[in-house]
Amino acid sequence: MTPPLWLGQTWLAPKYLGALFSGLLLTAWLAFLVCLLATLLGVVLTAMTESRYLGLRSAARFFISVHRNTPLMVQVLLWYFGVPNLLPEEAMLWLNTPHTLALPLGLEPAWPSYEFLSAWISLSLYSASFIAGELASGLRAVSHGQREAARALGLRPWQELRHVILPQALAYVRQPLIGQYTGAIKNTSLTMAIGVAELSYRSRQVESETLLTFQAFAVATALYLLLILASQWFGHSQKPIWGASR
Amino acid sequence: MKKALLTALALSLISGLAMADRLDDIKKNGVLRAAVFDSNPPFGFLDGKTQKINGLDVEYAEAIAKKIGVKLELVPTNPANRIPLLASGKADLVAANFTITDERAKQVDFSQPYFATGARFIAKKGALKTAEQLSGLRVGVDKGTTQEILLRDKYPKTTVVAYDDTPLAFAALRNGNVQAISQDDAKLIALLAQAPDKTKYEVSPFALSREYEGVGLPKGETRLVALVNETLVQLEKSGEARKIYDRWFGPKTKAPLARDFKIGDKTE
Repeated sequence: MTPPLWLGQTWLAPKYLGALFSGLLLTAWLAFLVCLLATLLGVVLTAMTESRYLGLRSAARFFISVHRNTPLMVQVLLWYFGVPNLLPEEAMLWLNTPHTLALPLGLEPAWPSYEFLSAWISLSLYSASFIAGELASGLRAVSHGQREAARALGLRPWQELRHVILPQALAYVRQPLIGQYTGAIKNTSLTMAIGVAELSYRSRQVESETLLTFQAFAVATALYLLLILASQWFGHSQKPIWGASR
Repeated sequence: MKKALLTALALSLISGLAMADRLDDIKKNGVLRAAVFDSNPPFGFLDGKTQKINGLDVEYAEAIAKKIGVKLELVPTNPANRIPLLASGKADLVAANFTITDERAKQVDFSQPYFATGARFIAKKGALKTAEQLSGLRVGVDKGTTQEILLRDKYPKTTVVAYDDTPLAFAALRNGNVQAISQDDAKLIALLAQAPDKTKYEVSPFALSREYEGVGLPKGETRLVALVNETLVQLEKSGEARKIYDRWFGPKTKAPLARDFKIGDKTE
């Protein structure tokens, strides 16, 4: 079946579908690394906000406030176009030259481009500030009586956290975290502004080469939907860690 | 009886629609709607002094309107809207630095070229002397431009990074994220003229490609295409095309560029 005249009468050639698919892989890889780093940073930030030291608490609050209350687009542009101005020319030269890192088993990971690196950093910092918020509210959702009961049983602080607080808190944050990861996947599309060849970048590229506007963006939409539904399905299918009760 | 009359009326309407082409519509309405750039000097831009859109492309649109004998109405556009404006009938022609390509020719008709550019590069002085040096370099381009497509096809060993516009690509060059950027020579010369550290950079001595700009017209309007082509040939013959060029690229302008293409010259 050929599309009607107003859609250009052709579907996308395999070459262009391949370009979109390579964009999907990069989107998935970038999103995975962002979720990973953002979660680690989010845990650190949450620990800092719960700290007894005012300095740590203020630093974490300042970081979260800056990243939650500025547009992500501006942060992405700042990391890619702005930060290199602060670095000496040699550092930028080093960052922009491919390096090889020989790992055991003959693995030689490709050196990430500066586009990818700055996209990873800016998206991770942004997501981390939101994940920290979700984690903190998860901890707060565990009622105070639970902590008192744990202490009354003579549990040490670590045992209290490991066996009483975290299993409940993690059950509370599961849904919001899946929401944050979904957001992180969608946010990767902004990095097309700094030349990361992810799915949105590829769809615009295919559009301008073929002029099959509807086809290019429709395929991109479908691929995003597949990726996000698959990741949500994965998130829901995992067994709760540490045997949470919900 | 009534039904037969209605059918006859409908039939005559349909045949009337099929007969009259765009050129007749333009003459009937007394207006030629031309899509031009409003922020792309010197091709089409809003002149701060007169508060009117002016430029090289605009002068060609004026000449075509004059030839038909109708008023000219300018429709401001950006690169992405050029084809949609023609396809939806909101403009009768596009005179907006419109590069002729085979892919585009599937959607719109083109006049013969009235302007030629070459895609060149800006790089650090002495860094890029021949096309062979492009292999292994990271080159910045504007998204959706012919340079992006051409570089990726012809120089697979070059890493192409696409940005939203030329100033952003130039910022990436100055940061060292790319070692060269590619655009039409006319745009590169204008960009470099404004840069504070212009002495560090230069426009490459070689061109990546030759590109030809024509007037974009709705598909299948043969009489309109013929009229535009005739106008262009006359402009060249009378010397008016040379005068238009010199007003925007002549030796007295801010970014002079030698004229090495005349209307009717053979294309590569």
